[in-house]
Parts: sequence; structure tokens; C-alpha cells
Amino acid sequence: MPKFPRLAAVTGALVAVGALAACSSTSTVSPASATSAAPAAAGASAGAPAGVQPLTLYAAEGYDTAVAKAFTAKTGIPVTVDDDSTGPLLTKIAAEKNNPQWSLFWADGDTAFASLDQQGLLLPYRSSASLTAAGTALEPADQGYTPTGTTVMAALIYNAAAVSAVPTSYDDLLTAAYRGKVGMNDPSQSGPTYPFIAGLMNQLGGEQGGVKAGEDYLAKLKANGLHVFPTNGDTLHALENGQIDYGLIQSSAATGEVLKVKPTAAFKPAIAYLPKATLLPGAIAIDKGAPAAVQAEAKQFVDYVLSPEGQHVMQTGDPSGDSLFWPIVSGVTALPQLPAFPADYQALDPRFWGPLEGQVNTWFDSTIK
Amino acid sequence: MAVATTGAALEGIGRRTAAVPEVTGVRARRRPGRGGWFLAFWVLIVAILVVPIALFLAVAVSPALLAQGPQWLTLEPFRAALTPQLLVAFADSAAMGAVTAVLAAAIGFGVAWTVQRTDLVGRRALTGGMFALLLTPSYLIALGWERLLEPNGVLDLLGLPAPGLRSVMYGPVGIVVVLTVKGIPFAYLAIGNALRGLGREFEDAVRVHGGGRAAALRMVVTLLAPGVWAALAIVFAESVSDFGVASTLANDSHVLVATYSLYVAVDSFPVQFPVAAAISWFLLLLVVVALVAQHRALRGRSFRVLGGRSRPVVREHLGPVRTAITGAAAAVLVVVALGVPALGAVSASLIDGLGSLAGSHRWDLSNYQRVLASPDLAHPLVFSAWLAAVTASAATALAAVCARLLAARRHTAAGRALDLVLLAAVALPGIVFAAGYIFAYNLPFWTVLHLHLYGTTALLLLAYLATALPSTTRVLAGTMSQVQDSLLEASRVHGRGAVRAWFGVVLPVVARPLLTAWLLTFAAILLELPVSQLLSPPGRQPVAVGIETALGKYDFGGGTALEVIAVLVALAVVALAFAAFRLLAPRGWRVIGRTR
Repeated sequence: MPKFPRLAAVTGALVAVGALAACSSTSTVSPASATSAAPAAAGASAGAPAGVQPLTLYAAEGYDTAVAKAFTAKTGIPVTVDDDSTGPLLTKIAAEKNNPQWSLFWADGDTAFASLDQQGLLLPYRSSASLTAAGTALEPADQGYTPTGTTVMAALIYNAAAVSAVPTSYDDLLTAAYRGKVGMNDPSQSGPTYPFIAGLMNQLGGEQGGVKAGEDYLAKLKANGLHVFPTNGDTLHALENGQIDYGLIQSSAATGEVLKVKPTAAFKPAIAYLPKATLLPGAIAIDKGAPAAVQAEAKQFVDYVLSPEGQHVMQTGDPSGDSLFWPIVSGVTALPQLPAFPADYQALDPRFWGPLEGQVNTWFDSTIK
Repeated sequence: MAVATTGAALEGIGRRTAAVPEVTGVRARRRPGRGGWFLAFWVLIVAILVVPIALFLAVAVSPALLAQGPQWLTLEPFRAALTPQLLVAFADSAAMGAVTAVLAAAIGFGVAWTVQRTDLVGRRALTGGMFALLLTPSYLIALGWERLLEPNGVLDLLGLPAPGLRSVMYGPVGIVVVLTVKGIPFAYLAIGNALRGLGREFEDAVRVHGGGRAAALRMVVTLLAPGVWAALAIVFAESVSDFGVASTLANDSHVLVATYSLYVAVDSFPVQFPVAAAISWFLLLLVVVALVAQHRALRGRSFRVLGGRSRPVVREHLGPVRTAITGAAAAVLVVVALGVPALGAVSASLIDGLGSLAGSHRWDLSNYQRVLASPDLAHPLVFSAWLAAVTASAATALAAVCARLLAARRHTAAGRALDLVLLAAVALPGIVFAAGYIFAYNLPFWTVLHLHLYGTTALLLLAYLATALPSTTRVLAGTMSQVQDSLLEASRVHGRGAVRAWFGVVLPVVARPLLTAWLLTFAAILLELPVSQLLSPPGRQPVAVGIETALGKYDFGGGTALEVIAVLVALAVVALAFAAFRLLAPRGWRVIGRTR
């Protein structure tokens, strides 16, 4: 028995009061103050038209909050944005599997979407928006999710102030000129990197022999002094401090670096695209288990994202980051600061390559890293 | 009189004690509601700790239970987890955790002794340094080292290349250094609180009976055993469950540690909760070993030295030589522990492009101006400060009860169970713990009952409370094990009720440790990341998530500036709290542990 039963009681009361206070603080949140991330867009349905259900958007895009805010302003449908990295959001979605709390999920990379789709978690939906050839190539056959724009993986960013050689193929990176000078991300920690590796495998051996061919290539790259860093930011940092001269990272991160950095005599970032560049789409999906009213509103949100107005908000919401994507909606032009869309690109079949992610990442961690 | 008193005190030290009969008069007046409160306490512990942990661990053997796979009963996740790499990782984690625990306890003891028992000039700054260290996430310490040592890093730019030091620090030695640095404040608080309650009568007794300085020190160390073992257990558990170093220095130097394998299972796609749960079982096993060691070391001994008559300690005067040595050691500790991470933060937030070929390398406040002007700073920081204050208040109160249970004169089954649950909570990394909360409080039947805890600030607070409780309890355990039952019993015999008796005679002697525990919890929760990331209500972002988001978008300057501001806010709270205690607390509350 505790020595101080009443102290325990007082403690319990304190905890209960704290919890109740917290509950009340949550329930009284107004739409205008619900979130620092989405101050005007988020919240309960307090100020919404009668019968409108609030949407919960799990999103890992730099412009997600801006788009949610604009959507709410246009439709009156409140959107609560849970803005985080892709990894934690996927962890939440997996943990919530027997009682999902999200209405929409929006992030870069379609392999995870394909896997969620194969698990029966996504509502098929096809917006009426017209897509470009690249957009059409990215659409899943069953419409389980919708591509909203694309980056490519990988862009080769290099320090033009330190090196003059620019590779034109992945095989070039295996030569002595690039020994110890190339870096890439760890696919276990960097979401966009598995699609890059899968793209290499697909390019080198197709779906039949691609895994083996890709593993052989990466083993040779390692033998030639490949450096592995956790994420885009770490690889960029290694490029900045001269640890490497060439980095294989996501195109939006590479473009952002070129726009951000003032060239000096020691550091001048430049970008090249090696054939084939693998498309890495931003994708959005609707929870199949959500109530019908929520699903109807979520479809409106998807339509808005693909509308010219929604695309404009995407292009202005995160100017030096995720807004640096190539549009896939017909009639929407890319931002002028983006380079031309790589001519030689490929779209992976995420339903084939998605399920291999765990196996390939484990191999990479134990063999290449 | 003094000799008689100290001699009597010495009689009970270190020997195995027979159970002392309870004060029957007190027990006879048990009221009908007592069992109810006991039940309420355990319901709370089960709700915030046992259920989330148990459900997460259950996924390892029954994935279908929580929709994480088709099998209702399987051992497959253990087979998948038991790779050769994982076994190496566990061996590495256990070895580095043990070395870290011993080093941190030794250094923490040294710091506590220096602060409380010597007249070293500037000793108070060491206390501030311990809190600053407590606030510094382990990944920031690791990144500080990397910034210092990396190619074209700070040392290279200063013309002091240190490739030898780089190769040493980018390996197990570096990981132990960082984990030790992070463990020192935990050890300092656990041992320091116990040391503070130790009057000088014991050392006097040794000296009066002919013992030398070394014998007196041995006596002190023996009496501080609960605090020392608490420090060892906390630091070991914190080290084996740390991910900050695993994801930075260990990752970059390709050293396998157990938590990294666990995070790969949870934080990459496809998410493998069953495998993560299997790994968690092994992590738990490591911590149980620590618990058993602690239990065996303290079994049957009494360390009750904290009473109302503890005598103020006289500070030891250090001569010039010892002052120089102690001061130099303190300076090295501050530079290694705080200077390096501060350098990491400064280089990222204040100096344009330090450690990089890009940028002007000039001092620049633009990151701070940008962060301070952004509404994204104020709301998360205020929100997190409020959460941290509520959590610290609740956790300190609850931890006082838990620590008292752990320190009970007779080790009950309840005490042992509580001990295991609390250490299990430390052993499981935050993200696992948070996932357990989702499993437990997002079950469909809560919706049927119209109880929507998941996604609310209330559940986030309860998870914070559960996260903080183990460390806070351990920090208080040393002190609580020193409180003599006779204090309370005497008060009860003289007619006071239980609550009035506790506030009247126990609170004064434990007030400062309680304040320390509150500040520890406040500081830890203010920048807590994994639980915040998974359990914060959609749309309400704690400051740690804001920092992580900024770093994730390659805004290292902005993210680090936000982190520095949060740390400064926490340090201001610590300073204000100690100042308020000094100015406002009754004199008697400040007497225990006072030196002269």
C-alpha cells in the first residue's frame, strides 16, 4: 500500500483536472486559431455551413497549408492540416489502420500510395482534370490515388566551381574520374530515394532482372567510393563542405539549392539529369473508410488541387522548396526558375516496385551503407 | 551529543535491517476510502503506461490483434527481427550503454560533489550547465561534433585539421562520449538530490572515530547507493533507447545500434510494427537486466538518512592546486558537453555558411529575425510551454508517489511491478510509445463510447506524463528512499492527518528535489519530439515538430534558431524558478542541503 494514499488522491485529481482542462482547450479551438500551420483553414466546423464535415488532411508538402486555406476560403469546408514529414504520417496511418482518422493523404512518391491502395485503404477517384502525357503515365489504373505534380529522382547536383567533368550516364559515375566524389541518400531515411533506386533497377534490368542488375550497379558505385548520407539536406551539406562533388538528390531540393546559394569562387551548384530520370509524383488519396459526406468533400479538395487556381497556390506556397515541381495538369506551365523537364524520363509501376521497398532498403543498409 | 547522534546514525548504515513495525495507531485509523485511492492510482498507471506498452508488445506475437497483419498467434516477427545485424546492434548498444552509465554516474557524482561540497568559484554555473545539457537534444550534441570535425568543418576552417580525432569520434568512442554527455545531468540530478539530503553527521562520525578523508568519502558513496544505482539505471536505459545519436553520429559512422533497427522498422515504409515490437522485447530485456542489478545491489539495505535534523554541510576549502585541477576539469566538461553542441547551433543559426564552402561566414542574425517575425514560432512555443508546465506539475506529483512506493521499506509486489513498468517505459523509444498510445486509444470501441481521446491535447498530455514519469520518479527515488518514516509517523502520532502531516514534515525536506524534478520534466517535455509528432492534435504543432519541419525542409538556420530560442526560454524558466524558490520558499524548506 502507498504510504500516502491521500497524496495519491491529490495527484490523481491534479492529473484529471489537467486532462479535463486539456480536453476543454481542444474542444473550444476556433477555426481561426486551431493551428499555427493552418491558422485560417483548420479547425472544427464551427464557422462552416450547416451539414459540412471538417476534412483532416495528412500532408507532407510545403504548400499544403496554403492550399487548404485557399480551399476553405473558396468552399467554406474547414480543413485541419496535419503537416509533417512523410515517414511519421505513414507511421500514423499504419497505426490507425483499424480506425483511420484521416480524410486525405498528400505526399511525394507513389510507391507508398500503391501499397496503401493494395491494402484496400484508398477510395478510387478520377478527377475530370486533363493531364499531360507525364501525368497520364503516373495515373494508377484503378484511380486509387491522384498525381498532383511531379519532381524527378535523381537530379545530379554538382559543384561547378570545383569540378568540370559532368557525367552523361550512370555508367560514367563508375569511372575513376568520379572516385570518392559521389554521394546519395539512405533510402531507409529519405523517402524519395527508394524510388530512385527502384528506377535504376527498372532501367538496368526491367521488372524481371532489375533488382539484381541494380544491386550490382550500386555495389560497383560503392567500390568507387560512394558516400551515403541520411537525407537530401545531409547530402547537400556534404556537397557544400566539399566532402563530395556530386550528389544524387530530389530535383526540387537541387533546384532550391541552386536558387538559394550565391555562387562563390569555391562553390557554385549546378544540375544535370542523367538518363533516365525517374518521375517522383506528388500524390493525393482519399480514405476509403471515411463517411460518404467526407468523401464527397475530399473529392472536391482533389478537384481543387488539380484546378488552375489550386495549381497556382501550389506553385506559390513554398517558393524555394516543394513548389519547384513540374505541373502535370494540361495548360499549367512550370515556374520560370525550373529547368526544362528532362526529356528522357520513366514512370515506374509502383504496384510492382512498392512491395519490394523493405527488401531493397534492407539490402542497401546491410551492403552499401 | 553530536557524537552520540552520529554514532547512532552509523549503526543503521549498510547493514541489513529487520522490518520495522508500522506505527499501529496510524494504521488502525485506516479510512474506508483508502483502497479506492490506491485503486485510482493503479488505474491511472495502467491506463497511461501498462496498456499502451502491453498492446504494442502484443503486436509482436499477435499482429492481427491491431490490424497489423493476418496472424493471430505467431513468432515470425521475432525471426524477422533476429538478423545477425540486430544481434551485433544489441551487443553494441548493451556495451556502450554500460560504459556510458558508469562514466556518466562517475562524472555526475563529481559535479554534484563539486557544486554542493566545495567552494570552487563559479560552481553555480555548473548547475546551470547541467540544466542546459538536459535541454540539449542528443542529436544536437552529435551534430555539434560533426560540425567541428567534418571535412571543411570548423577545425579545418580554423587551420587545425584533426583527422585522428575525427576517426576516433566517428565510431564507438564518439557515440559513448555523446551519450555520456547526455547522461551526466540525469546522474547529477539523481545523485545530487541524494547528496543534498546527506547531513555532515556521517562524515563527522567517521572522522571522530579516526577515519581519514577517503574513509569518509567511502561512507558517503555507500549512503548514496540508491542515488548512484538510480543514476546507473536511468543512464543505461536512456542510452540504449536513444535515437538522436543513432540517427546522426552512429548512422554516419556506420555503427549498428539497436534503436536504429527499431526506427527502420517503424519510420520507413512499409511500416513493420510487429518487427519493431519484437525488437522492443529485446530492448526491454536489456533494461530488466539493469533493474535486476539495481535491485540486487540495494536489497535489504536501509539508506534512510533524511530527517529534519540533518546538519548543514561545511564546504570544503580547495587549496590553489586543487582549485586549479577541479576548475580545469569543470572547464573541460563544460567545453566538451556544452561548447560543442553550442558550436553546432551557432554555426547553423548565427554564422552564414560556417562549415561550408558556401556563404559569407559572417555573423548574421537574419535567421533569428525571420523566426521571431514568423507566427509559426509564437504559437508552437506557447503551446509547448503550456503543455510542459501542466505535464511537469502532474508528473512531479505522481512521481513523488511512485518514488515513495519504490522506496517503501518493505518491497511489495506493487512496488516491484511499478519499478518494472517505469523502466520498460524508459527502454522503449518515444515513437514506439506513441504508437502504443494510438493502438490503445484509437480502438473503434472508443468511438462507440463517444470518447474521442486520440487526436486531442488531453491524450498528448497523458502520453507526455507517461513519458516523463520514469525519469522523474528515478530522480526523486534517491531522495524518497532517504526520507525517514519516523518523520511522518511522529507527525501522525501527534494528531495530524496524512495530507497535513506530509505537507508539514515531508514537503520541507523534499521541496528542492521536487522543484528540480519539475524543472527536469518541464525542460524535457518542452522539446520532446517523437510523442509530439505522432500524438499532437492535427493543426496544433508543438515546437519540436516545428523545428523538425524546418530542418526537414533544409532550413537548418531557421530550425536551429528556433531551437536555440526554445532552449533559452527553458533556461529562463529554470532561472526564474530557482530565484523564486530562493526568495519565496519558507526558510525551513531551504535549510536541508544547505551548506555553510
